Amino acid sequence: MKKKVPDWLNSSLWSSAPPPPPPDSISRLDSEPAPAPAPAPAPPPPPTEPPVPVPPPSVVREEPPKPEVVNSRNGNGDDGNAWPERPSTDDISRQSMLLAELSKKVINIGELRRIAAQGLPDGAGIRSTVWKLLLGYLPIDRGLWSSELAKKRSQYQSFKTELLMNPSEITRKMDKSTISENDDSKSTSGELSRADITHGEHPLSLGESSVWNKFFQDTEIIEQIDRDVKRTHPDMHFFSGDSPDAKDNQEALKTVLTIFAKLNPGIRYVQGMNEILAPLYYVFRNDPDEENAASAEADSFFCFVELLSGFRDNFCKQLDNSVVGIRSTITRLSDMLKEHDEELWRHLEVTTKVNPQFYAFRWITLLLTQEFNFADSLHIWDTLLSDPEGPQETVLRICCAMLILIRRRLLAGDFTSNLRLLQNYPSTNVGHLLYVANKLRTTPSG
Amino acid sequence: MVLVLALGDLHIPHRAPDLPAKFKSMLVPGKIQHIICTGNLCIKEVHDYLKTLCPDLHITRGEYDEDARYPETKTITIGQFKLGLCHGHQVIPWGDLDSLAMLQRQLDVDILVTGHTHQFTAYKHEGGVVINPGSATGAHSSITYDVNPSFVLMDIDGLRVVVYVYELIDGEVKVDKIDFKKTTATTAH
Repeated sequence: MKKKVPDWLNSSLWSSAPPPPPPDSISRLDSEPAPAPAPAPAPPPPPTEPPVPVPPPSVVREEPPKPEVVNSRNGNGDDGNAWPERPSTDDISRQSMLLAELSKKVINIGELRRIAAQGLPDGAGIRSTVWKLLLGYLPIDRGLWSSELAKKRSQYQSFKTELLMNPSEITRKMDKSTISENDDSKSTSGELSRADITHGEHPLSLGESSVWNKFFQDTEIIEQIDRDVKRTHPDMHFFSGDSPDAKDNQEALKTVLTIFAKLNPGIRYVQGMNEILAPLYYVFRNDPDEENAASAEADSFFCFVELLSGFRDNFCKQLDNSVVGIRSTITRLSDMLKEHDEELWRHLEVTTKVNPQFYAFRWITLLLTQEFNFADSLHIWDTLLSDPEGPQETVLRICCAMLILIRRRLLAGDFTSNLRLLQNYPSTNVGHLLYVANKLRTTPSG
Repeated sequence: MVLVLALGDLHIPHRAPDLPAKFKSMLVPGKIQHIICTGNLCIKEVHDYLKTLCPDLHITRGEYDEDARYPETKTITIGQFKLGLCHGHQVIPWGDLDSLAMLQRQLDVDILVTGHTHQFTAYKHEGGVVINPGSATGAHSSITYDVNPSFVLMDIDGLRVVVYVYELIDGEVKVDKIDFKKTTATTAH
């Protein structure tokens, strides 16, 4: 049976200009398939413009959420009709739902994932807490939060003191344990006695296990980290510029990455890790709760480790060509595209020979942080982190959706224009994009 | 944590062709922040080589140096320590502690580094510490042929200095260290 492009793909919905939002009854929670997505004949919010172009990011995410979608917990069912005029109502309702869920004694992670998948509101520190829960940093039992946080944060502090010691101090510590402090005022003049060095440690040591040698090797990595951190999000005041806050933030990013590199000698630091750390740190630092914001560095370290654990293999050069490496992931993306939209796949890979490695590498390894503006990428991350299939799978689906959304332009373009388009992905309605990505979860029957 | 390399009396090319290979393999660029050299390099090529190890290079004039522009003495402040540098052929008797102590008081430094005797020594007296890094190539001195190649690496960390002595004995590099502390901090001036 020849697979043809499914009808819903050909609708005007998927052109790159943000079209009117899709029909209401679509929701992630519903298991029933969406009715024919022909929004034109049945535009839901007739009078007012869809909130799509409105700047406040939380509003942009508006389109799918429907009161009926969400569980009975939500009481304001009639807000669905009113939302075009006051989109914030729905946002508020989602916020209240989240707060309700978060204030329970034992949080239902599955429930939280479902709500979070639609997008998290920007305020009230919700995103910070939800991300920590989704990444497993906070336990689901609320009562354990304070003890867990205290434990982890002090662990991070001990990492800092241990690992960031310079070799002079380390050798001094080693000396103290072997020789007791000499009273060096006992001889006022005369020859100074030469002492043996401990463990063969001296600054020019080239030994593998030498503290000094490791220190100098780490210096290179630290320089690399420093360079990358300085280049992270140069357009954001939070990260770059001369303000003392920006400097503090950069220092924090550097410390986290340095400690990660030291604790993981197998993978060390790879360019790009700074981009994955940046949103985590940003969200945690902007937590309105004072204590959380102050410990943003420690929290983001653990969450970074957790997030990266699924992706480590992408960063390991030796694994590039293996089954778990980045090449095979890109191949999976290619297969997914072929499955859902063979025409586009053929045009891209066979006709115009746009090898997915040219664009998808950055999309996948950096979890789409570079393709969208910061606020949008935070929303994409809401979905990425909350999806039960895991970030790796979800990002593939979103990449596939990204390709499908601009299929018209891709089909019309040649190698150069397609590559240029894909490497500078046009700005698009993120809510839209995530909706399509969600649709790709079920295989279309053609 | 500042690493300072002290060496001298290489006498290249007249008395020795080059540094010992084992020393050369250890001395790689990027690790050392300062080099102080007592003198008697003697030629420009050695100067250039030392410059590749570390851009901050201080040299005083030894009696056989071909470059006449090196100063007779030099003082440098690194961290909390003031270091003095002089070749040592000017201080008579050569290698005598009291005379060197006089020079140290004159220069008003905590650590005085001199050479010329081609023998490693490290003395402490009320005014401070005198270190002789010996000859890095093992070249013969004016007095003796029995010279082991040696140099000194100082790790200055706050008020504490760890002096690592590298000596080539029977073809093997032996490393020792000397630890000392300064009692008062240098007043800024």
